Amino acid sequence: MQPDETVLMATGTALLFLGIASVSYSKNLIKSMMAFQVAVFGANLSLFSSGLLAPPDLQIHVFVVLSILVGAAVEAAGLAVIVTVYKKYRTLNPAEIRRLRA
Amino acid sequence: MVSEYIALAIGGVLLATVLVALFSKKVSISLIALFYSSIMLGVTFTVYGDTLVGLLTMVTFAGAVSVLLLSVILITGESKLDIGAGRASMGLTALTIAVVVSCVYVLTSGLAGAPSGILPDVSTVVMLFAWQYRPWDLLILVTVFASAMLAVANLLSRSE
Repeated sequence: MQPDETVLMATGTALLFLGIASVSYSKNLIKSMMAFQVAVFGANLSLFSSGLLAPPDLQIHVFVVLSILVGAAVEAAGLAVIVTVYKKYRTLNPAEIRRLRA
Repeated sequence: MVSEYIALAIGGVLLATVLVALFSKKVSISLIALFYSSIMLGVTFTVYGDTLVGLLTMVTFAGAVSVLLLSVILITGESKLDIGAGRASMGLTALTIAVVVSCVYVLTSGLAGAPSGILPDVSTVVMLFAWQYRPWDLLILVTVFASAMLAVANLLSRSE
């Protein structure tokens, strides 16, 4: 494995785990969506760096483009859900929303 | 292949912006840091030869998704968007104007217009039309980028 590929793969993995951990621990739904975006960044970077050593091939590029578009679409849908939840419960704290639902 | 020092620098900046975005108390600061991390990710893809994916990352995440996040923050009133960093705002505005003027000069002087022996990378072969007319696309992208940077500068300059 080339050193720069290793660095990019490590960065991507770190971003992925940081994003997933922050989604779990965040007490604000908007910050959760930001953390989800960071996780998508990590996934894209890891996927991209895995194709750096391979001979020029469209497959990795197509996968990265697909991942970017799916990530953006999921984030847009998530933000729409957040606005709906906020209109109903007037808070963005998941624990508070759970308490109000009960 | 790009030197591993460049990879280290890019990875470090990317991690730093992401850490600021995740652990900042203010949502507006997180949004600005996330904007810059999107730009850095696009730069990473571009530096490693995938121009199309880099531009797509910048347009999608630094453009559309950042605007969506800003809209949701404004709708929910989660942040008052009062930062009050006037000097940072002025510096960012000056930097944006310098970048835009230099980009417009390079793009309109024909330096980037002709296919000067630079082979397009794999992903741009698919969109040969876009590759041939890339100076105009880049000019539009520079305009969009400048607008986004000025929006960030405006966000920084707000104070109570």
